[in-house]
Amino acid sequence: MITRPMIAAVLVATAAVASAAAGPLQVTSSILVEARAAAADGTTRIALVKPSKVTPGDKVIFVVSYRNTGTQPLGNVVLDNPLPRQVAYRSANPGSPAPDVSVDGKTFGSLETLRVRSLDGSTRAASPNDVTSVRWRLASPLAAGSQGQFAFQAVLK
Amino acid sequence: MAASVFAFAVRPSIVCAETLAGTPILNTANLRYDLEGASRSVASNTVTLIVAERLDTRLVREGQGAVVVAPSPAAPTIVPFVLTNADNGTESFILETRLSSPAITLRGLAIDADGDGRYDPAVDTALVDATVPPLVPGRSITVFAILAGTAERPAADATLTVTARALTGSGAPGTAYAGLGDGGGDAVVGPTGASASVVVPLISAIAGPALVKSQSVRATDGSQTAVRDSVITYTLEARFTDAVSGARIADPIPAGTAFVPGSLTLDGAPLSDAADDDAGRFDAAGGTAQGPGIAVALGQVAAASVHVVQFKTKIQ
Repeated sequence: MITRPMIAAVLVATAAVASAAAGPLQVTSSILVEARAAAADGTTRIALVKPSKVTPGDKVIFVVSYRNTGTQPLGNVVLDNPLPRQVAYRSANPGSPAPDVSVDGKTFGSLETLRVRSLDGSTRAASPNDVTSVRWRLASPLAAGSQGQFAFQAVLK
Repeated sequence: MAASVFAFAVRPSIVCAETLAGTPILNTANLRYDLEGASRSVASNTVTLIVAERLDTRLVREGQGAVVVAPSPAAPTIVPFVLTNADNGTESFILETRLSSPAITLRGLAIDADGDGRYDPAVDTALVDATVPPLVPGRSITVFAILAGTAERPAADATLTVTARALTGSGAPGTAYAGLGDGGGDAVVGPTGASASVVVPLISAIAGPALVKSQSVRATDGSQTAVRDSVITYTLEARFTDAVSGARIADPIPAGTAFVPGSLTLDGAPLSDAADDDAGRFDAAGGTAQGPGIAVALGQVAAASVHVVQFKTKIQ
């Protein structure tokens, strides 16, 4: 059995620097890797830790944390994360809501609904490797003082 | 001629599809939100991940079989190897050479600078400290080991062993070298252990006969596994530089195997097992001092000739 502790606790230790931009919404982006450790009860625990020796083929976790530091609720919160071109999208990280994805940076939706156009004009179903950007929307306003995070897995090309 | 030159010219350089070591991976997220009726946006910090350098190498020999080493220092013997930087970083490699016989010496190592596959002392540069200058990912180069024989005759099983190791480090796959990778990232040993070795058998060109023995195994299922009833074919290759008389080859049947009747040949022609008119025989009682064995009388042998004796045994 594999258990996943809260990402937030680990994030504090990664010394990620919060956005310096003024405003009520703070956003922090991190790149982490999984570290597996055997627990005393025989299960395997996966912690997310600061990456070292990441080489092509390795899985990396992109984590974006946000927090409303203001005094009023924030509406229509949308988080966009264009993927660095050296990584291939895999999936939402367990525990994170699934993002809408895009293969062209314009049209967003679930991967099954997207198609990729070839040079000869034909189209095919999109695969995770085609994803160029991910997006999450908060369904309800973000109350003052509240926070959350999104995370997705990718593989280094 | 023109066609082959053209083919070489268009041969694509090896494309490394993997992300190069030292590449910074940058990520920034953007948020949009509405506050008091106005739309606003904010960017996250930009987080950077430096791709680590994975260390892998391949070393293969060009050519096969034993290399004949000339005894004269004036006529060095050249053994070419192809060294490949098999992973995602730019890396130097250290070559370590070992000769099993003191009768053969290493004159030096050189890189095939002009890429023509032939050693040319005027063009091909000698390696300093046995270190190959940095190779980009996927790049292969030819390295020459330059050998010279001495007046002394080396042992029949003389070998040259060449080992290439990544300069940054080698060892068990996964071994990490923090901060030593390209671009200030980490370096980590890949699946090859970042080292590779090749062993080359050497034989002397000094006047006198040389005998090289080799074997191949064929099991009843067609595989090459050495199990009961597998047949081992032994090949004894006798090389003569000078004409001699009374040459004779004798070889015991290895313990645990039985001679396959009628399997003895000389230069491809069958020899009967009996001690009769032809040159060979199998002696079950004790053809050699070590027990049962084969013996082939070559008699008068011409200069610069090679004779091949083969026989088969079956594993008991």
